[in-house]
Formats: sequence, structure tokens, C-alpha cells
Amino acid sequence: MQKNTCTRQFVLLAVIAGMAFFAAETRASTVVADSNVAERSDVINIDAMTIFGPIERPTVEFLHDKHTQAAKKMGKDCLTCHPRDEDSGQLSIRYMRFGDMDKKTVMDTYHAGCITCHNEQLSAGETSGPVVCAGCHGKTKKTISNRQTVVMDNSLHLRHIRKTKGGCRICHHVYDIEAKKLVYKRREESACRYCHPDLPEDDRMTIREASHTACIGCHRRLTVQNKSSGPMECIACHDAEHQANIEKLPRVPRLRAGQPDFVFIKTEGEGDTEVKAARMNPVPFDHKAHETYNDTCHVCHHATLTGCGECHSTPGKREGSGISLEQAMHRNCIGCHEQRQLESACAGCHGFMSQSRQMPQTYCSTCHMAPPVGEVRTDADRMPVASAAEMLAARTPTLATYDMADVPEKVTIESLSETYAPVDMPHGKIVSALVNGIENNKLTAYFHTERGTLCRGCHHNSPATKTPPRCVSCHDKPFQEKTLFRPGLMAAYHQQCMGCHDQMGIEKPASRDCIGCHKEKRNHQ
Amino acid sequence: MSITRRKFLGWMGAASAAAVAGKTAKAATNKEFPGYPQGLGVLFDVTRCIGCRRCEEACNEVNELPPPEIPFKELSVMDNKRRTDADHFTVVNSYNIPERKIGSVFRKIQCNHCLEPACASACFVKALKKTETGAVVYDASVCVGCRYCMIACPFEIPAYEYDEPLTPRIRKCTMCAPRVADGLLPGCVASCPTEALTFGKRDGLLKIARKRIQKHPDRYIDHIYGEREMGGTSWLYISDVPFSKIGLREDLGTKPAPEFTAGALGAVPMVVGLWPVLLTGIYAINKRKEKIAAGEQADAVAAAVEKANETAANNLAAAMETAEKEKTSAVEKAVKKALEEAAKREEPTEASEKDDTREDA
Repeated sequence: MQKNTCTRQFVLLAVIAGMAFFAAETRASTVVADSNVAERSDVINIDAMTIFGPIERPTVEFLHDKHTQAAKKMGKDCLTCHPRDEDSGQLSIRYMRFGDMDKKTVMDTYHAGCITCHNEQLSAGETSGPVVCAGCHGKTKKTISNRQTVVMDNSLHLRHIRKTKGGCRICHHVYDIEAKKLVYKRREESACRYCHPDLPEDDRMTIREASHTACIGCHRRLTVQNKSSGPMECIACHDAEHQANIEKLPRVPRLRAGQPDFVFIKTEGEGDTEVKAARMNPVPFDHKAHETYNDTCHVCHHATLTGCGECHSTPGKREGSGISLEQAMHRNCIGCHEQRQLESACAGCHGFMSQSRQMPQTYCSTCHMAPPVGEVRTDADRMPVASAAEMLAARTPTLATYDMADVPEKVTIESLSETYAPVDMPHGKIVSALVNGIENNKLTAYFHTERGTLCRGCHHNSPATKTPPRCVSCHDKPFQEKTLFRPGLMAAYHQQCMGCHDQMGIEKPASRDCIGCHKEKRNHQ
Repeated sequence: MSITRRKFLGWMGAASAAAVAGKTAKAATNKEFPGYPQGLGVLFDVTRCIGCRRCEEACNEVNELPPPEIPFKELSVMDNKRRTDADHFTVVNSYNIPERKIGSVFRKIQCNHCLEPACASACFVKALKKTETGAVVYDASVCVGCRYCMIACPFEIPAYEYDEPLTPRIRKCTMCAPRVADGLLPGCVASCPTEALTFGKRDGLLKIARKRIQKHPDRYIDHIYGEREMGGTSWLYISDVPFSKIGLREDLGTKPAPEFTAGALGAVPMVVGLWPVLLTGIYAINKRKEKIAAGEQADAVAAAVEKANETAANNLAAAMETAEKEKTSAVEKAVKKALEEAAKREEPTEASEKDDTREDA
């Protein structure tokens, strides 16, 4: 009896163990299929019902451009689906309604409208949309959205100004609290986003609602009047390819919104208790030049057109989400400048450098310039803006390099030669290529002021000198415990050369084309 | 005195509670195997691999494998999703990643040398063994050819010499254990021109991997594959593309393979070993109790008998005494009466009657 129980228990356990093993196996072999999913820029996920609580059926995937084209074929236009508000004359961006009243009304609006139209088309013998529940309320999505946000850059803005003959008031407005209406105020124009939020807030239209109402509304009015106008299809504004084809004006004059040409970026703000003498020098900033580096003011002025110090103080305050002046400026300025390091001319050297490294302290004064001799460092407010212009003008950035005569033309790498013959590295050619790539770059010139700085791209960790130590001085045998993070000599060479070529987009010689760099040894079998 | 059903169930309950409690205690005692402290390993950096197949070539040489059908210089073979087999302990495959700046990435496949290998735990003759140096090595002399290791391995690494009719062996990467013992680098590591393969103590490799990720947070995915997968492996990977896109399974979990079967297999000795012990114990306890009870009963009976005897003796004595007294008093009474009668009658009979009385007593 006892023996019997034992056997039975063992068999049971074995079976359970087996089952567990196979369960793990089957779980592993589940593969997610993601083929047959088209990418489109006109996908609208109709989720209007979600605001009324849990939804009963999956949301509906709606292809807007497909419907616009179908309506056009039938001789119908936007008004078929989007009603016009008689007061403002604007079309609602919602389907057949102005607002989301209650669950039943919204649901019925969609069902009645969509199914009726689809049925009519069907009975007319045309291709049509679904008329049964699952046709629209599908669980699996057939498309994914690749919609790109629209950037109203300076060029596109200027085209609109020219087209409307300076009709700023057509788009720009402010809300007059007393009159309770939108009014145009000259010189107070700013970006739409400053007032129109991403998500619904109070009575304000979201940026999505506002831009579609205003842009499409205007484009449609012009089209109806048979005048040339901007596009109305989703794809024209929101597709990456179409965006690239939007006409760019070659020269865009400066947009005037009362901004300065030069300004001192303060190093103190409201509520600072710090000792004045201990503050950094204010940064003279070429505002005019930076306007040309960016597409819109919005890039830096993300919330208002006011100065940074209004919201960002040294300790940080509520208006600036607690982000201190130091963080705001360093992230914005250095962050943007570091993006430039990814450009192919720079990436060869900068790609190797740690992204989390600290800027050398000697670079602080590149921006936080010492005031001109004779002028006492004081509050940025009290320093005349003219002196910012003077300070910047006095600074002439020059890229410093050694005379090419001092740069070795050829370096022969032979210490490792085994399978292949020694490598003749065209050292001079490489240096010239690096110099040529950044010669006319103003930003680079500010930070490559020492003659050996550029050399340190390859001769890293060595002081900037005309005669840096050889690679083998540090890179010897690999995998030594004392120099855990240091590659061996062979890997150091390959990583440096191939890494730089990859980063700079130099295709030849290819990484795996050994004889592109190494000559075959004559005696080698 | 036998055990009741209620009592038996009670014992069983206690026994199973003890077994469960023992298991929880194990989990709570941090009793996981972090690998041998001096264990070696290799870190593979996907961003550094250029796909030159030098490692495949070196592996072939140092392990004296048959020459390849297609020479190692031919790079197009990497586009196929090749696997390791009895003649190829390592292969490097190419993966197309459209969103990457440089379209192809390469990933080397070989035994990952798990800290707690599934293959070794599945091998019932211990032909596969995790050594203290970190390598999972194979001993063909004890192998019975069951190929359980091939089924157990989550990375599908061990391969079998199906073409070998008499002495087929399991074949896989040895992390060049014999070379490492001689102070040499594993073949693949030594041949890698870019140090995409870094050899060293696993602890050090983890430090190197973390430092690389920290240095280029935008480039690397913040994960070291093999640090915890399947309880940790000696071969580690860092990458700039998701690991699942370069054929590394991300569904394995962090539990070492033996732990999946430890519960069930751990119960076997308990059932096979403890069950008889438990039953014997219960039997012995019962027996003992019965014995004690019998002893006690015997004692009680003896005591009772003794007591009864004593009481009987006492009663007897008392009865005898009473009887004696009664007899004496009856005799005295009779004597007295007789004396009185005699006195009434004659003087000469007085003496003879006195003698009679003495004889009766």
C-alpha cells in the first residue's frame, strides 16, 4: 500500500513537471504578427464615446482622406459631415455636431450618419464602407498613424503674411476678458500654443481644434471662392514626405516682435538671495543671429515671448515649473549646441566622447564672458545692451590648428603587423579633412581655440600638445585587470578608425574590407 | 490503543505545513547562486561587431573542427539565420535594422555558459558540468547520448554528432576552457579585431558594460543581456538595438533553469525518503504507546490485586477478631451461665467444668 502511494505520487509530480516545462515552451513560441498594417497620416481614432465612461465596442479607425475623396466623387464637400456655426461662420471639427452632449446623442449621430451614407452608396451600386457593427468596431487595427505635427516655420509664416497681405488679425488674437470676445492686438501676436493647450482646459480650444478650425476653415473659404489656397487633405500637412515638399522661401526677413538684437542673459532672477559678487558673469547673447539658426521662436520661447528670467530664477519658481535659471539655460543652450556635435563633420571625434561627461571648466568663460576692462561687473539689467554687442564683436572666433608643416604626413603602424604588412596611415590627409570639415563653423571655432584641441579627437586623454604620446603608450595588452576599461592596441586602432569612419559617413574603406587599409604580406601564404 | 482517523489527519497536516514552511524559508534566505566569484566570461558589444567572421574562423581552428564548406571570407552566409551545430560552435548572423544609421548589426551565437545551466541540470550522468572558471564543460566518457541537454537548453546550443555511428558526442562551445587553463584567451576573443568581445571576470565585465552604457546612454539600450536572464549567464551582451531583434530571447525570465524543476524534483526525496520514515515513526510511536499502556495496565492490575488481597486480609482479620470476640463472649457467657447453674446445683462439679472451658479455647 505504502509503495503504491509513493509510485503514484512520483508519477503525478513527473507529469506536473512535464506540463510546466511544455507550458513554458509554448509560451515562448507565441509570435506577434504585425504585417499588413499600413502607415497613414490621415488615421483618426474615433474615441468620442470614451468621455462617457467605459466603452462597449472598440474605437473606430477612420481614414479621413479616404472619406474626403469619396465625398468629392459624390459632389459633396466638408459641410456633409461638418456643420457650420452660423454666428462665427466656422465649421465644427466634430462630426455632425458642435459639442459632445450625451452618450446616446453622440452615438446615434455617428450611427445614423455613417450607416445611412454607406447604405445609400451600396444601393447606388458604389463601393462603400461597412454597415455592420464589426465592420467599423474592429478589434485589430489595420493602420498605424505616422502623422507628423505641422511646424509653422518662418518661411511658411512669411508665405501666409504675403498671401494675406499682412492680415495678422486673420489668425492672431487675444481674449478680451471685459468684452468677452477675441480681439486682435497689434504687437501682441504670439504663437498659437501659448494659449491653446494640448489637452482641453477651461473654455479654450485645444491646439488641435484651433489649428484645424482656423487653417482648414480659411483654406476652404478660399477654395469655395475659387482662389488659390492651402491644402485641406490630412496628408498634405501631416505626411513627412509632403512636408518635405512644402515650398521654402530662400530668404526670410526677420520677424519683428519687439525683440532685441543683443541681450544679456541674466544670471540672477527675482527672489535671489545669493551674494552678488559670487554670481557668474551675465552672458552676452546674439539674439539676432540665433533667430536665423531656428525655424521658429517657439524653439526657445516655449511658453511665452518674454525673457527667460521671467519664469526661471536661480532657485526656480512656480511659473517655470521649478526649473532653475541655470538648468533652463544650460539645457537649452548646451543641449542645442551638443546636437550640432552629431553632424557628420563633428561626430567623428565627438561620437567617442562620453555623453555624460562634464564640460571642461575652461569653457565656462566662453559664454560667461568677462566684462570689458574698466567696466565693473554688475547686474545684467544695469549693463547697457550695447556692451553686449561690443563684447560679442570683440570676440573673433578662430579655429586654432598647428601648421600643416608640423603635422606628420604619414604614420606607419607596424608594431602589430602579423598577418598583414604594416599600415601607412595618411595622417596629414586625415587632419586636413577634419580641419576642412569645421573650418567655417562659428560654433566650433569658439570651442577649438587651443591648437591641440582638434588633435585630441584621436589623441584623447593626452594634453593638447604638438607631440602627443603614441597609442601604444597607453594601449597595450587587452583585458588587464588594472586597466579594465582600456582597449588593447589592436582594438584601439580598429575602434578609432572604423568608429570615426562610421560616424562621419565615410564609406571607403568598408569595415570588413581588410585590404582596404592593410596590404597583404608578400611572404604570407 | 490505536490512532484515530482525526489524529492521523492532524499529523499529516503538520507534516505538509512543515514542508511548505521549509520552502518559503528557502526563498526568504536569499539563497540564490550568484555564480562563482572568480568565474570568467565574455562581454559581446553589438555596437562594436563589424561582422568579419574572424571569431568563427578562430573557433574552427582552436577546436580542430572540419574545414568549412564555404570559406570564412565569404560574408554573405551571415544573412541566413544560421545555428550552431556539431561542426560550428559559434556563428555570427547579420540582422537588418532599418531604423539604425548603419543598417546591419551582427550578433555572435555560442553557448552562453549559464551560471546555473539547464543542460547540466538535465544531465543525469553529470556529463555536463559548470566549472569554477565559468565554463560549462562536457565529459564524453560518461555521456549516454540521451540528448536531454539539447531539449533543456533555452538557447538551443548543444549539438549532437548524428553522423558519428559509434561514438557520437554532444558538441558545443567550451569557452576554450583548455586554452584558458594554459593562460591563453579564448580563440574568438583573441581574434576579434575590435574587441567586440571582451574577456575577463564576469564581475569586471558587468562593470565595463555599465560604464559603456553610462557613457553613451543614447546609444545603448539600458540593459545587460545575461546579467539576470535564466539566472545569469557568463556570456553577456550589450546592444544599441532591442535584443529581441537580434535573436536573443527576451521571454526567458530571470529564474535559473534548475529552479523550474527544483520544486517537483525536490519533492521526490521527500516522498521516497520521508514517507517510510514518517510512517515508521507513526508506527513506532503507536507501538510504544501500546507498550506503555500495556505496562501501565499490568502495574495497575498488580496494584489492584495487591490492594484487594490486602483488604481481604484485613477483612478476614477483622472478621476473625470479631468472631473470636463473639466466641469468647459466647463462651464467657456460657461459662458464666454454667457457673451460675452449677453454683445453684452442687459444689463438686465446679472443677470439672472449668477444665472443659480451657480445652475449648
